[in-house]
Amino acid sequence: MKNYDWIQHVRGESLFVDDITPPEGTLHAAVFSSPIAHGKIINLDLEIAKKLNDVIEIFTAKDIPGENQIGAIIPDEQLLADGILDFCGQPIAIVVAKDNFSAHQAVKQIKLEFQEYSAVTDAREAFQKGQLIIPPQTFSLGDADSAWKDCDLIVEGTAESGGQEHIYLETQGSFAFPVEGGGIKIISSTQAPTTVQRAAARILNLPMNKVEVDVLRLGGGFGGKEDQATAWACMTALAAFKLKRPVKIILNRQEDIRMTGKRHPYSSDFKIGLTKEGKILAYEVTFYQNAGAAADLATAILDRTLFHCTNSYFIPNVKATAYCCKTNLPPNTAFRGFGGPQGMFVIESAIYKAAEKLGVDPMVIQEKNLLSEDDEFPYGQKTKYCMARPSWKKAIGKYNLGEMKNQVEKFNLENKIFKKGLALMPICFGISFTNTMLNQANALVHVYTDGSIGISTGAIEMGQGVNMKLRQVAATIFSVDISRVKIETTNTSRAANTSATAASSGADLNGKAVQIACNNILERLIKSAQQELKSNETDQIEVKDEIVYLNGNQTELTWNILVQKSYAKRTSLSSQAHYATPGIHFDKSKVKGEPFAYHVYGTAIIQVTVDCLRGTYEIDFVKVVHDFGKSMNPIIDRSQAEGAIMQGIGWMTIEEVIYTKYGKLLTDSMSTYKVPDVYFTPKEIEVDFLDNPNPSAAIFNSKAIGEPPLMYGIGIYFSLCNAIKAFRSNAEIKNSAPMTNEKLLLMLYEPAGQNLKRKLKNKMTVK
Amino acid sequence: MIINFKINGKETLINLTKNKRLIDLLRDDLKLTGTKEGCSIGECGACTVIVNGKAVNSCLVLAQQVDECDVITVEGLAEGNKLSELQQNFLKYGAIQCGFCTPGMLMSAYALFLENPTPSREEIETAIEGNLCRCTGYKPIIQAITSTVSGE
Ligand code: FES
Ligand code: FES
Repeated sequence: MKNYDWIQHVRGESLFVDDITPPEGTLHAAVFSSPIAHGKIINLDLEIAKKLNDVIEIFTAKDIPGENQIGAIIPDEQLLADGILDFCGQPIAIVVAKDNFSAHQAVKQIKLEFQEYSAVTDAREAFQKGQLIIPPQTFSLGDADSAWKDCDLIVEGTAESGGQEHIYLETQGSFAFPVEGGGIKIISSTQAPTTVQRAAARILNLPMNKVEVDVLRLGGGFGGKEDQATAWACMTALAAFKLKRPVKIILNRQEDIRMTGKRHPYSSDFKIGLTKEGKILAYEVTFYQNAGAAADLATAILDRTLFHCTNSYFIPNVKATAYCCKTNLPPNTAFRGFGGPQGMFVIESAIYKAAEKLGVDPMVIQEKNLLSEDDEFPYGQKTKYCMARPSWKKAIGKYNLGEMKNQVEKFNLENKIFKKGLALMPICFGISFTNTMLNQANALVHVYTDGSIGISTGAIEMGQGVNMKLRQVAATIFSVDISRVKIETTNTSRAANTSATAASSGADLNGKAVQIACNNILERLIKSAQQELKSNETDQIEVKDEIVYLNGNQTELTWNILVQKSYAKRTSLSSQAHYATPGIHFDKSKVKGEPFAYHVYGTAIIQVTVDCLRGTYEIDFVKVVHDFGKSMNPIIDRSQAEGAIMQGIGWMTIEEVIYTKYGKLLTDSMSTYKVPDVYFTPKEIEVDFLDNPNPSAAIFNSKAIGEPPLMYGIGIYFSLCNAIKAFRSNAEIKNSAPMTNEKLLLMLYEPAGQNLKRKLKNKMTVK
Repeated sequence: MIINFKINGKETLINLTKNKRLIDLLRDDLKLTGTKEGCSIGECGACTVIVNGKAVNSCLVLAQQVDECDVITVEGLAEGNKLSELQQNFLKYGAIQCGFCTPGMLMSAYALFLENPTPSREEIETAIEGNLCRCTGYKPIIQAITSTVSGE
């Protein structure tokens, strides 16, 4: 099956925003942003900058004709700050110049006078100060408070997980130009064209029908362009609107990292209660989410943390509370997993601690508590076609866990400096936007008179292969060669009111809409074939491999002839269709419902080798059994899984976002913020497709693949912990991701001075 | 300053009116936008092109440095409609997701082959150590390059 996107990619012919040949006279924009994390603008002096060669204009908040507001869920984020500064990198002014270089030169000449306030960068500190974006949210099941008395063991602790920078290889960018009638067209690198359209209309005080947003493809998104592509799109729209000229902005990498939000860091408290056999009876958890300076998508992300706070375990008594804390960091945002990983890291940390206390391998507790059919999640939904146990069983059998453990034990006995660690990581991830409203999509399908097909949907191609999958849907339904099908750019004039391509659901939702639209057209074509072949109602007509069959017999009619004859008979060869996921609902006030169309399950086994002298480590292997449903495209799905796993591993290990206490980002380039390179990949990575005969709600019984495998990466944290304990059995394990080499080294050895302190203490108690 | 160089086999004359990077010369003046800019500081490899048989980061090279040189970009890999074996293997093994790192990966691998037609896995890893891919996790990329060596 030819993937046409890929062919263009290897030829260097595919176009991203920055690759479009700009029309003569296109201007370039650059952003002047806040140098401080918290404070107040006293004076903004643009005079010198404005006078520089090739500078055309500088825009500030007062130039916005509409409302200076880009907050999509909660209106708490200005496009351009005009009073209070809430984070380092907050846009204040837009310089427009004849070229990119001049625009950046002018940015340096803008003088800002400000009064600085103290900054809050820590979620718990913000909580203490009462800086909450929304009231706390709580999910509960059973009665945790009264379950503690039945527990043989209760363990309490904290867990921290850090931020994560997206590092989509294509930085944020947008290109806008005025169109006739006072409207504007924006070509944006966004996962959410409708969000951009709505925000730009608000900024420019235009009706939405005067703002057209078009998206070619993204050089990676990972959630980072779900809400945070909006600002740059609005800036170019504003400048193009005011100057009546095309304006382009492409952030350079440092600007991108400094000005955009990341995965939300979380700090959490947990309390877990078990029987002595390792059955979990109760779990209480409190999440402090570091939202940054504005809501962005934080509230929805917080919800997903709660939805996934028990990962793939059944726990009869749960109380989970989450606080959305406002700090002076850039507004943090969606990142693959969308809060789910943060929730799962805490339950895994709790299980690890409990296992230490019980003196068993964490696997024992994990396995004992896996979800089974009809188990209830804390949000009221029950498992259906639950694959938690089957995937676990298959993983430990297929990959021979027993033998793996023996090998690790043997290795650790034979080696002093190098230690291996092994851990399992089961996952369960709910598919659907947790905001039920967003689970809808529409598609517009045209069959042209030459038999070629054009498809428009709201899906954004960002590397996840959604275009290929949509092509497959149409080619399968019409039974034509896939080369006939073209996926058009994603455009708000052809697909309106679309949801972001997010929540792993791009192919699910848009695929279904395409399916309905294609079936509409096919139905008409069959009717027309019936007339053409003068057959009667009971005859069976079908199109197979571009040929029309009548009662199983080949006819003269080919796809091309059928299409032409139908057109001649004035049959509509176009269809617009809408799909809304059936059966899902969620009652926000009761925090119960069935928010997910289905769940995705799987189990990973991860092994590492730690160099206990240096604190460095290598990944021996990641072996996975994953529930793909009936994969529509195994090459794409496997690669999605492997890439997601690497991102999860990166988040847990080497990717460290560091801010100073003044809210200044230290890791603001690709030389200081490191993502996995080829050397960091596991020596072996194996992904097995779990046979999953059950019907799923998604297109052709496939299952969403974008996000779930990321969470396998969490397992590496505990593999590393196990290796540390193999080196020093009484090492104190801290649940503080990422496990950088430095942190790991500190855990390997007893802190210097600790020994002395103990001796002193002993002496004192003797006295 | 007038520079004279070969780009994908074609002799080219350019009048450089100001200092610019090789990547800007390629993308802006020659409209060869297959070469991508991911970091501008030599960290990501998306801008990799081949100059006189060696892979270089075109964001770190000045345009005038390619005077009298032979430059190959991703657009020069295929012969008309016929993709090179390396490109075909990228398709076959699904070594592509968003495609933004792909041109750079291809050029690093191609430069390796120019120097050493039968590299080992270690040599392949070394060749693409400066090329970051945020999407794939590298495995299919290594597979694609490895099987180009073995002719599988
Ligand atoms: S753009 Fe040249 S190495 Fe990243
Ligand atoms: S395919 Fe997206 S960065 Fe490599």
